[in-house]
Amino acid sequence: MAVTTVPVAPAQAPATVAPRVQRNRRTSPTATILLLLGAAYCLMPVLWVLVASTKSASELFNTFTFMPSTHLFDNISFLNSYRDGLYWRWMANSALFAGVGAAASTLVSAMAGFALAKYDFRGKSFVFNLVLAGVLVPAVILAVPQYLLLAKVGMTNTYWSVLLPSMISPYGIYLCRIFAAATVPNEVLEAARMDGAGDWRSFVRVVLPMMRAGLVTVFLFQFVAIWNNYMLPFIMLGDDKLFPVTVGLSGLLNQGATQPAMYTSVVTGALLSVVPLVALFLGLQRYWRVDLGAGAVKA
Amino acid sequence: MKKTHLLAGALAAAVLMTSACGSSDDEPAKSDEKVALTYWSWAPNMDKVVEGWNSTHPNIQVTVNKQDGGDPAVAKLLTAIKAGSGAPDVMQAEYQKIPTLVSADALADISKEAGDLKSKFPEGAWTSVTLGSEALYGVPQDSGPMLFYYRADVLDKLKIKPPTTWDEYAAAARTIHKANPKQFLGTFSSNDPGWFAGLSQQAGASWWGVNGDSWSVAINDATTTKVANYWGGLVQEGAIDNKPMYTPEWNAALNDGTQVGWLSAVWGPGVLEGNAASTKGKWKVAQLPQWDAASPATGNWGGSATSVTSQSKHKAQAAEFVKWLNSDPAAIKLLAGTANVYPASVDSSAALTEPPAFFSNQPDFYSVADEASKITKPFTYGPNVNVAYSSYNDAFGKAAESKKATEFAGALTTMQQATVDDLKNTGFKVAG
Amino acid sequence: MTTTARRKSGAPYLFLTPALLLFGLFLAAPILYAGYLSLRRVKVSGLGLGAGSRTEIWAGLENYTRSLTDPEFLPSVLRVGAYGLIVVPCMLGLALVMALLLDAGRTRVSTFARTAIFLPYAVPAVIASLLWGFLYLPRVSPIVDVLDKVGITAPDALSSSWVLYSVANIAIWGGTGFNMIVLYTALRSIPTDLFEAARIDGASDIAIALRIKIPIIGPSLVMTTLFSLIATLQVFAEPMTLRPLSNTISTTWTPLMKVYRDAFVRNDIYAAAATSVIIALATFVISYGFLKLVGSRAFSQES
Repeated sequence: MAVTTVPVAPAQAPATVAPRVQRNRRTSPTATILLLLGAAYCLMPVLWVLVASTKSASELFNTFTFMPSTHLFDNISFLNSYRDGLYWRWMANSALFAGVGAAASTLVSAMAGFALAKYDFRGKSFVFNLVLAGVLVPAVILAVPQYLLLAKVGMTNTYWSVLLPSMISPYGIYLCRIFAAATVPNEVLEAARMDGAGDWRSFVRVVLPMMRAGLVTVFLFQFVAIWNNYMLPFIMLGDDKLFPVTVGLSGLLNQGATQPAMYTSVVTGALLSVVPLVALFLGLQRYWRVDLGAGAVKA
Repeated sequence: MKKTHLLAGALAAAVLMTSACGSSDDEPAKSDEKVALTYWSWAPNMDKVVEGWNSTHPNIQVTVNKQDGGDPAVAKLLTAIKAGSGAPDVMQAEYQKIPTLVSADALADISKEAGDLKSKFPEGAWTSVTLGSEALYGVPQDSGPMLFYYRADVLDKLKIKPPTTWDEYAAAARTIHKANPKQFLGTFSSNDPGWFAGLSQQAGASWWGVNGDSWSVAINDATTTKVANYWGGLVQEGAIDNKPMYTPEWNAALNDGTQVGWLSAVWGPGVLEGNAASTKGKWKVAQLPQWDAASPATGNWGGSATSVTSQSKHKAQAAEFVKWLNSDPAAIKLLAGTANVYPASVDSSAALTEPPAFFSNQPDFYSVADEASKITKPFTYGPNVNVAYSSYNDAFGKAAESKKATEFAGALTTMQQATVDDLKNTGFKVAG
Repeated sequence: MTTTARRKSGAPYLFLTPALLLFGLFLAAPILYAGYLSLRRVKVSGLGLGAGSRTEIWAGLENYTRSLTDPEFLPSVLRVGAYGLIVVPCMLGLALVMALLLDAGRTRVSTFARTAIFLPYAVPAVIASLLWGFLYLPRVSPIVDVLDKVGITAPDALSSSWVLYSVANIAIWGGTGFNMIVLYTALRSIPTDLFEAARIDGASDIAIALRIKIPIIGPSLVMTTLFSLIATLQVFAEPMTLRPLSNTISTTWTPLMKVYRDAFVRNDIYAAAATSVIIALATFVISYGFLKLVGSRAFSQES
């Protein structure tokens, strides 16, 4: 098993890809067909969302599913005008929660992961196991205790009540430990120390740049998790101007039995809300490198 | 704890009364104090209704925060109550949730602040917010007397007269399904406990009751069993559908004319318009089919009150707003016209002269509705409606899927058992 | 790769401070609080309607026994077991096949396929379930329409015999892409010379994949399996969203749905906390057992 020496592809993708260019030589037709089948399976429901967002409320239920219509702009302009553009406020809130939360979470995870990977200290494995145990408890049950505790310091119904709990990610710390172990050679740290750099200085100047690819991965990972989170903001926030888009749209869907669910608005809203995520992925795709197994591989 | 509460309430009342005496207006005297209130509601356009209040009451400004409807709304409020902070001043509360909320000490008693409103609301709605006591836990906002909607074109074509009794309904359902095996006059929905409770209410059931200081539960009594058996029979023979309502499937069925009847309530037109706009002008409304044509009755499905929470620091002002929202003629007009609800107030007919747009073919829509609200039977909700209702989902889900009439009565027994067990477990006294 | 034993300093503790502080405040404290709540219950006196008629008292292990003896609990556990047996192998199998295909040749098709297969990861589980719901319901489903046209009567996807597969399908759809990228990344970091020799000896692509590539990315497979197992045990959003669409999904269809029902529908946070503790312990035992079984040291420290 112990073969891989560079388990995580560095950010400079072309450099690693170069020696493998010869693999481009052929693709069997079977492989191509299988890949296209896989792509079709994954895209079909996405296509449904695209088509559904162009329909009016009654067309959604009485025209053929994949028959597009012309109401996309009506649906968007409904969202636009809904309570003076509240939808866009929700989008901005989501961007704030996910952007700031993921950035802070990445930094916190990087520091912790680096410490766990590159230092020996008392209580190290205890800390690591403790952090991993955080993954085991389902988030559904944590929202209520989190609320009760934050209420004691009067922080509920604020941006902080969603941001702060989003900044800790056991997965992020686990990944960062792998990335730090894999991409930061000890010699480099030694050299930095010889130059008289302190621990913090070498972390900022040397370690963070070397872990860049991994950090982008952790950032994306956490960004998606926060963007799609529902339970925590639902419980924490009472003011609908602070809602992220998930909680806001869910309110349009659940208006009680006496009101029709606003399927088309919700579908259109959901489509628009996924666009930033997809754009972020496509933009950062070349950095997207996760090698969960790397931590287990020993040189 | 209890004593200080009472004392504080009495003090507040005394202060209010003296101040009310000192002012000639119906505005509270200390009108120089500016107060901001928050209001959780899930009804669409409630913010626009509240604008009507804000523009005339510069010192009591209300902000609407639109929330998810249904069970999570209650869970969220109860979490805030438990935490001691975070609850709004004013909250929309469905009638069946009020005992649960009162039991958790989430709602303030505003009987002193609101004054005498009893005469302005139908008795059923009033009992729902007083729980039969001297206290007042909210002011009725909207109600949902049940009505029967049907596709007049389909019934006419088959020469069926709109059913007035449940026997006629069953016969009509059979005829329709026989003429076109894809068509149904209705469906039994395991997903809507409030709907089934309303149908049982019509038959004369009341699932909970208070005997002295203990609760009684009668979910599987003879009356409700009769209703369950009736529906079980129709599902078993296939005369009506067994799929839940409010699904995309059901919406499509309303649209393409395979669901040609709907046992619903006065707010039905909004749902039909939102889900099946293409069938406009083809529907008609009538009273529910009857068990006993000689003494017509109906049940209630949906509807809610506006309550002041126990955490509000401005109880008097909040109560004044709640009172305005549900009894002032201008507010009732806004509730009916802008928020599209059927106001609970007995004065609502003044605001409801035109039929809903979707029923412009039926000018007497609101006189039918008005009649229904007068024949709504009484019904008592208990402190664990949520347990009974979630048990309904599971038990009747199984029964509907099995399509066996016997399973329907069995489902009632399961509900009864779950409800009584939960009450006993929590420490409530249960009679019988 | 070995960790340098650094001179004794406070540096690692300082680096860990923000993480531990946040962990303590927003994960450990709520978890402990949930544990405390699991031992409490509400006691009502009389009709329970007056202020202060509700008090919180110690319940001992009552919540746990009630949770474990609930007649719906065991079926929901078995159901999640069956669900896991479908989801984990199918999702990881698909992910592995797709990753191997991507690794076998880089063409425009593979770039397109990689992006397309990964796309569902960006779609929240609730939205994914809502849109699959539309695809499952016979009257609004294009799949049923198309099958109908060619003379096949599609089975009702939400009927009791199919509903488990329908829920599993949503999880597979949403999770394959992420796992594929993880495995693909692992494959990309295998040095070419390891299998070029085999290729020159005439080994087929399939043989190379089976004998060389898959063993090398073993650790990645172990970790993706582990994380998939944890996600499986916490399955919740998909059946929750599909529930109102059918008669076949109960409110306690999976253990975590029971947690949700108790906490958010029945307002019994105490019972919900007890069930959560049971789920967390079971997750721990299963994860640990799995790691022991495959003999992986993924979670251990490098020495």
